[in-house]
Amino acid sequence: MYRYDSIDQTLVEERVAQFRDQTQRFLAGSLSEEEFRPLRLRNGLYVQRFAPMLRVAIPYGLLSSRQLRMLGSIARRYDRGYGHFTTRQNIQYNWLRLEQVPDLLADLATVEMHAIQTSGNCIRNITSDHLAGVVPDEIADPRPYCELIRQWATLHPEFSYLPRKFKIAVTASARDRAASEVHDVGVHLKRDADGALGYEILAGGGLGRTPIIGQVIRDFLPQAELLGYLEAILRVYNRHGRRDNIHKARIKILVRTLGVQEFRRQVEQEFEANREFAPQLSEVEVARMRAFFEPPPYERLENLPEAGRAGAQVGALAPFQAWYRYNTTSHRVSGYRVVFVSLKKHGEAPGDITAAQMEALADLADRYSFGMLRATHDQNLVLADVPQRALRELWQALEVLELATPNIGTLTDMICCPGLDFCSLANAGSIPIAKQIHARFDDLDYLYDLGPIEVKMSGCMNACGHHHIGHIGILGVDKHGKEWYQITIGGSSAAPAALGEVIGPSVPKEAVADTIAKLLEVYLEERQDEHERFLDTVRRIGVEPFQERVYETDHSPA
Amino acid sequence: MRRIIRRREIVEDELRYAGEPAVDGSVGVVGAAEWLAASAAGAASAPEAVLLTATDEVEALAGHLDGLRWIVIEFAKIGEGRGYSQARLLRQRYCYRHELRARGALKRDQMILLARCGFDAFELDPAEDLSAALAALGTFTVAYQDGNEALVSLRRRA
Repeated sequence: MYRYDSIDQTLVEERVAQFRDQTQRFLAGSLSEEEFRPLRLRNGLYVQRFAPMLRVAIPYGLLSSRQLRMLGSIARRYDRGYGHFTTRQNIQYNWLRLEQVPDLLADLATVEMHAIQTSGNCIRNITSDHLAGVVPDEIADPRPYCELIRQWATLHPEFSYLPRKFKIAVTASARDRAASEVHDVGVHLKRDADGALGYEILAGGGLGRTPIIGQVIRDFLPQAELLGYLEAILRVYNRHGRRDNIHKARIKILVRTLGVQEFRRQVEQEFEANREFAPQLSEVEVARMRAFFEPPPYERLENLPEAGRAGAQVGALAPFQAWYRYNTTSHRVSGYRVVFVSLKKHGEAPGDITAAQMEALADLADRYSFGMLRATHDQNLVLADVPQRALRELWQALEVLELATPNIGTLTDMICCPGLDFCSLANAGSIPIAKQIHARFDDLDYLYDLGPIEVKMSGCMNACGHHHIGHIGILGVDKHGKEWYQITIGGSSAAPAALGEVIGPSVPKEAVADTIAKLLEVYLEERQDEHERFLDTVRRIGVEPFQERVYETDHSPA
Repeated sequence: MRRIIRRREIVEDELRYAGEPAVDGSVGVVGAAEWLAASAAGAASAPEAVLLTATDEVEALAGHLDGLRWIVIEFAKIGEGRGYSQARLLRQRYCYRHELRARGALKRDQMILLARCGFDAFELDPAEDLSAALAALGTFTVAYQDGNEALVSLRRRA
């Protein structure tokens, strides 16, 4: 992973000192709430319903065991003993005291972490593929490019007061595991006909109240030009993006208003005009960065035959076998396997993890996976480099920690925003719905029969839970002070990304799980065979059969 | 008299905005449209100080910059960000070398970034403590991007 040198460390420490000064000025009354708000936001600090919430950056989701231990220690010392992994590979703490936040940030800085630009109208954490470097299907490891972008974007003098937030995702695999098509900018690593590395650039994607799939604005950008091109996009956006209406201020609205061709023309023109001043990525610089992401020292191991079958029983899956099938996946290096750590245990808020779990997991990462972990955008963690021979031992340890729920990729591996329980923007609860769904669908054999299905839940139209791109999306809405839920089906974040279609009027809170049950009934009746996923069935037969079933008996759709 | 920060010093301001009383030696500032009209009428008579709002396109000034000694960019609120791009364009693309001033709802916190975009003068929120603001210019000794301030740029370490 990237390791700070004295320049990085100095910058983070100076940012902590600056934030400490800003906080003290606010507490002393020399900064008003209005003046403090943009300052605290660009350092990840929200004022939530009950307490300040701090979002800590986990650049492209990559964490060392030492960092995870610190995150656990922070949860213990400053919060109520837990943290919450988000849909952008970050972690949030929900129960802080403002006056302690500068100390918390100073602690983070000791492990090369920060909360810079995790909120506010600036360039946010760069997200990427949580399987970067361990899957065979990538062009090149995207993480060196993520880190180069991260550094360029950090405290960028020109782009710190944008019209609205700005999210960049980088991926190097055709199977887009970073939802890059619904980001303000998506960067796809690519090789040209001569094998030279470069990028396809998308712009104008996003979720929120106006979900839009990003469009390609550059088919192939040479490797050296990445930051210069991003600078051109950002400058066009910073100058011409709308600032009069917060709901129309994202770059997607500018791209849509101008039309992609005119937007592209403006970006290309700016790019050309700025060549003299644009940062260039030299081969030396890229090579220097790549060296930080060299593979760990793998042992030469053979793939274990039937690695998952050890101790298998006939009939229903044995617990280990189920875990192996759902919570692990293949690795590009023989003898290794990728392990997902499920943060979707029945009864827990999706993405939540306790301090004790973090600390124990850090030890497991040291023992089994070269001391490294990744956070996924669907709110789980990954131990990416586990020797197959250690899988059973690791599973037993994860079982004890209650981090081995064998539900990755299934209905109950849902993603979910904090919702009304914490967030001051929310219209409705998310976590109680997640719990309702867990309670209703607790039969693992039924979940396995349903196959891969992505449920995504947001408590308001800001769409932090990515409901538009869920195979089943759930959006909380407020109706006369009551929580109702709008259901969409057919969305997907994987290439080609698609936005879900609303099935009809929203349903009351107590009816959400029942409604999903009806959708699943239709799927099970209609699917061609067990290999046809829910999403594929929806795409094949359309939404009508689902609508008919859900609304056939009038249970008071409003 | 109004006090501003200019090239890392607190000084008294000589600029006079519309509606302010004329004082000996003060220099009047005009809006972009007025300045462009005067400039088109004959460079010798054109005012030396212009005030740009966030929506004024700096491209319009290009080619007319020689007679200007002051460009003031107005920030109507803290979150206003267009001025940062205007400044970079004026400094880099259009090679403007004289005073570039940020004016408006600004505190020391924004001043650090503004300076790195090429502003060398700051007319901050009247409530801001100018000595503290001046000291705040030293908040960061390093940066990841090349800028107008003499910071250690990470991009040069490769």
